[in-house]
Amino acid sequence: MSWDYVLELIKNILVTQTGMPNLLIKQVIMMLVAFFFLYLAVGKKYEPLLLVPIGFGIFLVNFPLAPLMGYTEHGNPELLRAFYKYGVEWEIIPPMIFLGLGAMTDFGPLIANPKTLIVGAGAQLGVFITYIGTLFFGFTLKEAASVAIIGGADGPTTIYLTAKLAPQLLGANALAAYSYMAMVPLIQPPIMRLMTTPDQRRIKMRQLRAVSDREKLLFPLIAAILIIILIPAVAPLMGMFMFGNFMRECGVVKRLSETAQHSLMNIITILLGLSVGATMKAEVFLSWKPLLIFGFGLMDFIVCTFGGILTVHIMNFFLKEKINPLIGSAGVSAVPMAARVSNSEGLKADPTNFLLMHAMGPNLAGVIGSAAAAGMFIAMFQ
Amino acid sequence: MRKIDFIFLSKDQLLWLFCLLLILIVFPCRSWATFGEDREKPKPVFTRKGDKITAKLLPRAKSTSVLIDFEVSGAKLIEVQGMDFEEADRPEVNHKDFKSALFVIELGELTSGGEAKVSIISDFFIRSTQYWIFNQNLETPWMDSKAQNLDRPDQVQELIIKVKDGGPFDSDGTENGRIIMLGGPKDSFWGYALGTLFIRYFGIFIVLSILMLGMIFSGKIFQYLEGKKARAVSKPAPQTAPVQKAEKPDLSNNGINPEMATAIAVALHLHFSGLRSSEPMHVSRLRPTAWTQQGRAQIMSERLLMYNRDKR
Repeated sequence: MSWDYVLELIKNILVTQTGMPNLLIKQVIMMLVAFFFLYLAVGKKYEPLLLVPIGFGIFLVNFPLAPLMGYTEHGNPELLRAFYKYGVEWEIIPPMIFLGLGAMTDFGPLIANPKTLIVGAGAQLGVFITYIGTLFFGFTLKEAASVAIIGGADGPTTIYLTAKLAPQLLGANALAAYSYMAMVPLIQPPIMRLMTTPDQRRIKMRQLRAVSDREKLLFPLIAAILIIILIPAVAPLMGMFMFGNFMRECGVVKRLSETAQHSLMNIITILLGLSVGATMKAEVFLSWKPLLIFGFGLMDFIVCTFGGILTVHIMNFFLKEKINPLIGSAGVSAVPMAARVSNSEGLKADPTNFLLMHAMGPNLAGVIGSAAAAGMFIAMFQ
Repeated sequence: MRKIDFIFLSKDQLLWLFCLLLILIVFPCRSWATFGEDREKPKPVFTRKGDKITAKLLPRAKSTSVLIDFEVSGAKLIEVQGMDFEEADRPEVNHKDFKSALFVIELGELTSGGEAKVSIISDFFIRSTQYWIFNQNLETPWMDSKAQNLDRPDQVQELIIKVKDGGPFDSDGTENGRIIMLGGPKDSFWGYALGTLFIRYFGIFIVLSILMLGMIFSGKIFQYLEGKKARAVSKPAPQTAPVQKAEKPDLSNNGINPEMATAIAVALHLHFSGLRSSEPMHVSRLRPTAWTQQGRAQIMSERLLMYNRDKR
C-alpha cells in the first residue's frame, strides 16, 4: 500500500463522507439565521414553544450531506423528510393542533357575547388587502393567498394553507406568522391608540352573562354544523377544533381531553416545528422572497388590527350598549396575547376597566374567522 | 431616542429598516416577479376518443385538474398540442390571463380556403371566457377570436370559433386544406382576483353572521330553559308561605308564646337602656327580590303592631 493510495483514500473519505469540504457559505448563513431564531426564543422568550424546534430544524437541515431531508436509495423519506411528508404534506399536523387548541379553549366569552363574531370577521381585512398587495408584486394567486393568511395570526392555519397551496413558502410564512404573533404587544398598541379616543378607551362593558355547561357543550356541535355546511373546505380544521372542544365540555372523556391539551399537543408541536424548520434549506430560503413575506406579514398584521377596531367603531353606530373599541384588535386571533394587549391598553386608560374577558370573545372569533378565510381560499382554488 | 424592547434596535433603526424594506419591495419588484421556477405552468396531457381530443391539465390557480374537449365540424381534427407561453409572450398580453395554457390545434381534410368550426368545451370556462388567437405572421399577433360562448348543461361552457383556411387565425397563412390555430382561453386575471376577493371577504361576514344568529337564537332558548328550570326549583317557596302564615302569632289571642315574650323583653330593654339597634348594614342597598321585599314588609308590619303603642 503506497502513500499515494492512503492519501487518496483519506481524500475520498473527506470529500464523500464528511461535511467539512462540502460546507457552503450560504449554509453557514442559514445556521446564523437558526441561531437568531433560537436567540429570540430562548433569550427573548418569543413563542419559544415553536421557535425552538423551528430554529433547531433550520440548524440541522443546513449541515452538508446530513441524511435528514432527502430520500434513501430505496425511496424512503429520511427523518425530517418523514416528519414533513406524513405530518405537513399529508395535512395531519395542523388539524391535530386544532384538536388540542379546541380542547384548551373555553368558548364562554364568545357564547355570552356572540356579537363579537363580527369583529373576528372584520379583522380579516388585512388578509384580503395583503392578498391584493402580493399579487401586484408578482406572487401567484396561490402564493398570495398563503402569504395573506399570515395576518390571521393563527400559526396552524397559516401552515395548513401554505402546505396546501404554496409549500415552497412554508418556512418563511410560518416564521413570519409566529414571529409577528410574538410581537403583537409591540405591533398593536400604537395602532390601537391611533384609532381610538381616550373616551372610547374608557368605555366600560357590562359583565358577561353566565354561560351554562349545557350551552358550552352544544356550542361545538352548532358551530360545526353551521361553519362546515357553509364552507366545507374548512372541515379538517374546524372539525378537529370543535371535536377537541366537545371532548373538553362533555366531561366524560377527561383523559382524552387532557391528552389532547398536553401530551399530544406537545408531541405535535415538536414534529411541526422541526418539519417547518427543515424546509428552510439555504438554497430555498436565501432569496428576497422571505424578506418580502416578512414585509407583507407586518403590513397584514397592521391592517388586520385596523380592521378589527374599525369594525367595532362601525358596530357602535348601531348598538345601544357601546363596545370598547380596544377589544377590536383582539379579532386578529393570536390567542390569548391579543386579548391581553386589549386588556392592558384598557387599564392604561382606566385602571378599573378590565377588558380581558370581553376581548376573549373577538379573540376566539378571530380563530374561527381566520380558519374561515383559509377555507375560502382553499375553495377558491378547487 | 428611547430604546424600545424590540430585540436590540432603537425606534429610529426600526424605522430605517422598515423604509429599506419598502424600497426593496417597491423598486426592483419586476426582477422578482416570477420567483424563479414557474411551479404552476400547466402541463396538459391529451387523449383521443374518436373525433374528440381531450386535454387534462392542472390550470394556474387551481388545485384540481380540469378537462378541455376539442371537437371540429367541417374538417378533421388531426392533433392538439400544448404550447409554452414564452413563445407567444408579447407586451400587449399578460400570461396570467391565460390560466389553462396555450394550444396548437391542427385541422386537415378541408377544401382549400374552406371554413371549419372548432368547439372547445369545458366546465372550467365561464360565460366571460374568450378565446384568443396568436398568429406571429400578423402585425398584431394576438387577437380575440370572437368565439361564441354557449351555455351547456351542468355548468359547461362551449366556445365555438369559426376558422378559415389561409385566414388570420391560420398560422400557416396559406390556403392548403390545412389549418394550424394557436391560442388559448383567456379570462381576466385581475377581474377574477378582485371579484373573488370581495365575494370571499363578505362571505366571511356572512358565515360568521349566520353563526352569530345561530348562537343568539340558541342562547335565547338556553336562557329561557334555564329560567324555566330556576322558576320550577323556586316554586315550592310560595307554597310554604301559608304555612309560615299559620305560624304567625295570633295577637288577638291573649296567650303570648315564650319566643314572643322574650323578643318583647329584649326590645323593651334595648329601648329603655338607650341603645338603639343600628340600621342593618348593606341589606337595604342590595336590590331586593320580590320575595325579600314581601318578607321585609311582613316583618315590619308585625313589628309595628307590637311596638306601636298608640294603637295598642
